[in-house]
Amino acid sequence: MKKTKKAAGKTVKKNAGAKKTETPADNIPMQGIWSGTISFSLVAIPVRLVKAVEPGRVSFRMLHNKDYSPLKRKMFCPDSGKIVPPEEIIRGYEISPGKHIMITDEELESVSPDRSRTIEISEFIDLGEVDPIYFDHPYFLTPLKGGEKSYRLLVEAMKRTNKAGLAKFVLGEREYLVTVKARGKALELCTLHYNDEILSGDEYAPKKDEASDAEKNAVKNSIKKMISPFAPEKYSDQRKEKLLGILKEKTKEKQQVLAPETEEEGSAEGYEDLVAALEDSMKKIKKG
Amino acid sequence: MNTNKTTIKINNRDLALSNLDKVLYPAANFTKSQILKYYSSIAPYILPHLKGRAMTLKRYPNGVNEDYFFEKRCPAHRPGWLETADIPYGTSKQLNACLVNNLETLVWVENLASIELHVPLCSAKTPLTPDSVVFDLDPGENAGVLECAKVALIIKGLLDNMKLWSAVKTSGKKGLHVYVPLNSGKTTFDDTKNFSRAIAGSMQNNYPGLVTSIMAKTSRDKKVFINWSQNDASKTMVAAYSLRAADKPMASTPLGWKELKAFLKKNDPAGLQFTYSQTLTRAKKNGDLFSAMLDKKQRLPYL
Repeated sequence: MKKTKKAAGKTVKKNAGAKKTETPADNIPMQGIWSGTISFSLVAIPVRLVKAVEPGRVSFRMLHNKDYSPLKRKMFCPDSGKIVPPEEIIRGYEISPGKHIMITDEELESVSPDRSRTIEISEFIDLGEVDPIYFDHPYFLTPLKGGEKSYRLLVEAMKRTNKAGLAKFVLGEREYLVTVKARGKALELCTLHYNDEILSGDEYAPKKDEASDAEKNAVKNSIKKMISPFAPEKYSDQRKEKLLGILKEKTKEKQQVLAPETEEEGSAEGYEDLVAALEDSMKKIKKG
Repeated sequence: MNTNKTTIKINNRDLALSNLDKVLYPAANFTKSQILKYYSSIAPYILPHLKGRAMTLKRYPNGVNEDYFFEKRCPAHRPGWLETADIPYGTSKQLNACLVNNLETLVWVENLASIELHVPLCSAKTPLTPDSVVFDLDPGENAGVLECAKVALIIKGLLDNMKLWSAVKTSGKKGLHVYVPLNSGKTTFDDTKNFSRAIAGSMQNNYPGLVTSIMAKTSRDKKVFINWSQNDASKTMVAAYSLRAADKPMASTPLGWKELKAFLKKNDPAGLQFTYSQTLTRAKKNGDLFSAMLDKKQRLPYL
């Protein structure tokens, strides 16, 4: 359950990213995912939401080994073996194998929260009270024109009081519970998992099995010997680094393959009929 | 007498022309004043094909052998009477482009040494619906205009079998452009792209030694590249009757299909290169062989 919800949350972010790659010219580093105001009591600060982490994944495109055409996914019906066009696809919620309840776009939309342009802080909390398991995805908030001063004031006040704001925030189709805290001179927003998304770990813990004091002390001592300050810069994704190394080498050696010039798939209705008709026509032409 | 600068009046509008003696085609000793003369004479034929379209100026301020640049934005120093249109640019931006709707605008843009005039396949008012499909035939190395002619004639055969009327013009360089007028206001660039891509793919499958639909230069040797991706809202094609920047002032020239066949039969690639004066003579004699591009309504089958 947790996994699927997380995946759904990711899609929103992915879409925002995909949009960016379409227009490299517009891809200024500060481009926001959302903009609006952050407010509490009588203060409203215009801000923009930008990403705080860059996922470390090296992603690949699937190519056809015959001509290096980039491949696309299509929905197909395993019964008929035919590709199903998007306009013929609807949503069903499976209640038992083969039995579904249909849900329309309108119904989905009716439960989506209204788009909102504000992050309304409802409470200030002590972040130490928040179990890290709740933290989902971090972002930065940057001030927009006219909001710089109040932004700075909010950052300083949060720092001095060591408190973080708790707010509700609509991004994409979902309403998120978020924390807003000071990080250096900036505000960091982090989406939280809802309480019912957190699974209990109890079932994974072993049944009671008393250990002796000597055993307990031995483990405690070995932990003590290994204590060191948290320094994340010591670690990195080894596979990613090696992979990027290989890619860099291959780029230097110009080991690239070229795709045929196909910006879009010939996916239109009737495209296959057209191709078939052309082949027929071609035979006639060749005969003279 | 200083012939380098002058002011003329067209349709009651004053135009200041400059650098008239500047040689822009050095190998042919062809000057800006001659370019202006050509465009003024060809105006009745070229203007209908430019009208209402966002013009991309390909400017050669120091002649065909020197640096050139594309100007899509209508220059800010344009006269107040010059018509422009806002067209979509990129995904979210707009761009104000010149509309070469009349002789005075044509002369004004030529005074900027816009030797080549490139226009989109759609009019500025309907940026999503192309008025035609184009097959841009571009010969690779060791191929030339005769290979293009072969490919063009096969494409015409395919179009004929689909009851689609088509027209052909020289690119003014080594290529040929085959056009299918649509003028329906309904066909989208996705449709025309799919259509041209299907034909390009089918041609490549059936004539692998003659045709490629892949842009990479290496796959083009001895072959004709069918650049179907020109069927895009963001792309432009050199207009019929536009001059080209080459050694000699050649023009993109509409042809009859029979003529093309004859040139192929005679194995006469040179015959398929028309200088500005031949293009002008032909236009006066034959009329505008591209006139059906302006109003002939056709629908693409299957799509």
